[in-house]
Amino acid sequence: MIKNAKFVVGIVLIVGAIGYLIASAVKSTSEYYLTVNEVQGRLSELQDETFRVAGRVEPGTISWDAQTLTLAFAITSLPKEAAKATAPSDPVSFRVISRGEPKPDMFAANRDVIVEGRFGRGGVIEASQVLTKCPSKYIPEHGEKQVSDAAAR
Amino acid sequence: MPLLGELALALALMLALYAIGASVYGARRSAPQFVASARHALWAMFVLTTIAVAALLNALVSSDFTLEYVAAYSSVTLPLGYKLAALWGGQQGSLLLWTWLLTLFAAIVALQNRRRNSQIAPYVFAVLAGVAVFFLGMLNFITPPFQELAVPASRGTDLNPLLQNYWMAIHPPSLYTGYVSATVPFAFASAALITGRLDDSWIRTTRRWALFSWFFLTLGNLFGARWAYEVLGWGGYWAWDPVENAALMPWLVMTAYLHSVMIQERKDMLKVWNLALVGMAFGLTIFGTFITRSGVISSVHSFTQSGLGPYFVAFLVTAAVFYVGLLLFRLPTLRTPAEFESYLSREAAFLFNNLVLVGIAFAVFWGTLFPLLSEAVRGVKITVGPPFFNQVVGPLALALMFLMGVGPLIAWRRATASKLVSCFASPAIVGVAVGLALVWMGLRQWYVLAAFSLAAFVLATVAVEFHRGVGARRHLVAESRPRALANLVAKNNRRYGGYIVHVGVILAFAGIVGSSFFKTGVQRVFKQGQTVTVGSYQLKFLGLKGTETPEVEAEYARFSLSQDGRSLGEIAPARLFYPVSRQPASKVALRSTPVNDLYVVLAAADDQAQTATVEIFLTPLVFWLWAGGLVMALGTVVAVWPDVRERAAIAAMLRSDEAIAGEPAAGGK
Repeated sequence: MIKNAKFVVGIVLIVGAIGYLIASAVKSTSEYYLTVNEVQGRLSELQDETFRVAGRVEPGTISWDAQTLTLAFAITSLPKEAAKATAPSDPVSFRVISRGEPKPDMFAANRDVIVEGRFGRGGVIEASQVLTKCPSKYIPEHGEKQVSDAAAR
Repeated sequence: MPLLGELALALALMLALYAIGASVYGARRSAPQFVASARHALWAMFVLTTIAVAALLNALVSSDFTLEYVAAYSSVTLPLGYKLAALWGGQQGSLLLWTWLLTLFAAIVALQNRRRNSQIAPYVFAVLAGVAVFFLGMLNFITPPFQELAVPASRGTDLNPLLQNYWMAIHPPSLYTGYVSATVPFAFASAALITGRLDDSWIRTTRRWALFSWFFLTLGNLFGARWAYEVLGWGGYWAWDPVENAALMPWLVMTAYLHSVMIQERKDMLKVWNLALVGMAFGLTIFGTFITRSGVISSVHSFTQSGLGPYFVAFLVTAAVFYVGLLLFRLPTLRTPAEFESYLSREAAFLFNNLVLVGIAFAVFWGTLFPLLSEAVRGVKITVGPPFFNQVVGPLALALMFLMGVGPLIAWRRATASKLVSCFASPAIVGVAVGLALVWMGLRQWYVLAAFSLAAFVLATVAVEFHRGVGARRHLVAESRPRALANLVAKNNRRYGGYIVHVGVILAFAGIVGSSFFKTGVQRVFKQGQTVTVGSYQLKFLGLKGTETPEVEAEYARFSLSQDGRSLGEIAPARLFYPVSRQPASKVALRSTPVNDLYVVLAAADDQAQTATVEIFLTPLVFWLWAGGLVMALGTVVAVWPDVRERAAIAAMLRSDEAIAGEPAAGGK
């Protein structure tokens, strides 16, 4: 066991180095991951921060320019969260603009998306990334409601 | 048919419960007929789950839309192959496939251990049946695959277009096979702990299973990466998404285990560590399913958010308490007198390689769970993205490369200075030379220089080993070089198979470094006749072309491709639209060479203006990631190939086991 003691030093050093790597990487790379309502609640903190926000694409707000690859839409609370809000004031939503990125395949009105970006001028979120969820199951929009109802059970 | 499937699953659950009882009773009361009947129960379970799988496949193929599962994941127009693949397109089917694999492996284990390992086998059966009880319970009560719809659907909603790809046929089954087969070493380790027979017989018995699991985890991860690369159209193959991480973690731990096991076999050390690794690997496979299925951690993949989370957590906690409890109980008997003697020894290199591998797994685990942890501790969700993982894993990967070069060559116990020089002088020179050459060529990123130098160093150590082995053989027997090489590998397949795997890892690592540091991309809106030059390639836009079938509408952007003025024909990335599910998808045009990959995505097509908006990526060396993966697979096959000595050892083990079993009242404790 005595000889093993000198190995304890090496082990502690390696474990310490890994721990340090993790801690410093967390410090330098972490960002808020918020819902639309939480963003509303932390507006002042977020002014110069890159953050992620999860929400739903508001119907009727999408504009897509294929020439410049500019996608603009509004992101709004997920129904789950909207129902939770006690004060039914104005529904919370933010305008999002993404430049120079192709429109994700799964992107559409009423889809759940995660936007990574920061606030630009006029309170618009300048997105560096728009991620769509990739569900393995499709809940069809209309016409096949029976299937989706059954599937939701 | 659906009723038959349902019935089969119910019977299988009952048999699994019976198998636990019968095998434990049989072992405790020395009643081999009960153990035999538990074995038969495992076989019957396999037959029953096979019937259930057949019933679901039949429903999918015949488009039986009275079933919720079929309506949700298939459609009449879906091609037959994808109808079959829809078996694992959704949650219930995936769990059914999982369970089927588990019962298949349990049946094989029961067959292999009819006469072998008579002391621990009953408990192995019991643990396998216990895990099966959980999954069969889920299939029977929580997420039944044969659920009928109140009103039968007129047509199905179709399989997600992103899944309608040939990778769908091979990626999930590979990964599942890797996941599920990790249960077998876990069952043996548990049984060894229960019976207290903690010599390394359980390790020798499960070596192949561990390699088998590792093989399929490797392929599963590789296929998944390739799928993301070909289908998702962002030019990358790995995004550190929670679901990807969930597949990577068991692979890392299993890799650590395959190495530390050698220390136990050779030096009788690290027993507790090995048992812990096997337990971790199993736990991580369940954790992986939990992440993918529960939606607890938001992932791009978050399949249907379902209420399965709590059950998985409960199972995970139960298994952990059971296993850790056993481990603590046996701790006093697991202490070994052997010790590490020197930092300059193979034991030490392997120990450190284990620490780094498990450290990477922990970092990935931490980063994946970080949003949950921060929410619990600070009340706000904070996430870490790919930069976190790259920052942590990058340097650790270099350490791992270094140890990969040192470990296989350095002497056991203690290496002398002269031995070190004779082993490592030429590989070190090769490594430094490659580094200097790259600097001379103008490379300045320290990470890239270190990575490629280390890669060259490791390749050189492997070359030295092969050269030395061939030389030694030719010294003893008169053989031609190729013949000596073939015999060398055949006679020591475990060792040289391992080296081949290492070569694969190095190639894959070079591919990852090259593609991560040197990928370039441009974006263009093309009018007809316009050209663009990317690297050595020229692309000329010829125009749009649409095609239409009932399943898919496609719009192709046709380009003529040439390299340095030499024509290479036409390439055509496309936008696809699936009318049944009303989903768009893109089809990437890919030209892959060992030097670089040209990757063209049609981001948007404008019919009126006849323009195409295209993204073009040039990714150096990514070819070697896939090539390296295949080399890793090949090396694993070489390493598991049965060798003569091992067969003799197993035969001897079998005889001694029979001798013990033959003695009266020996089967008892």
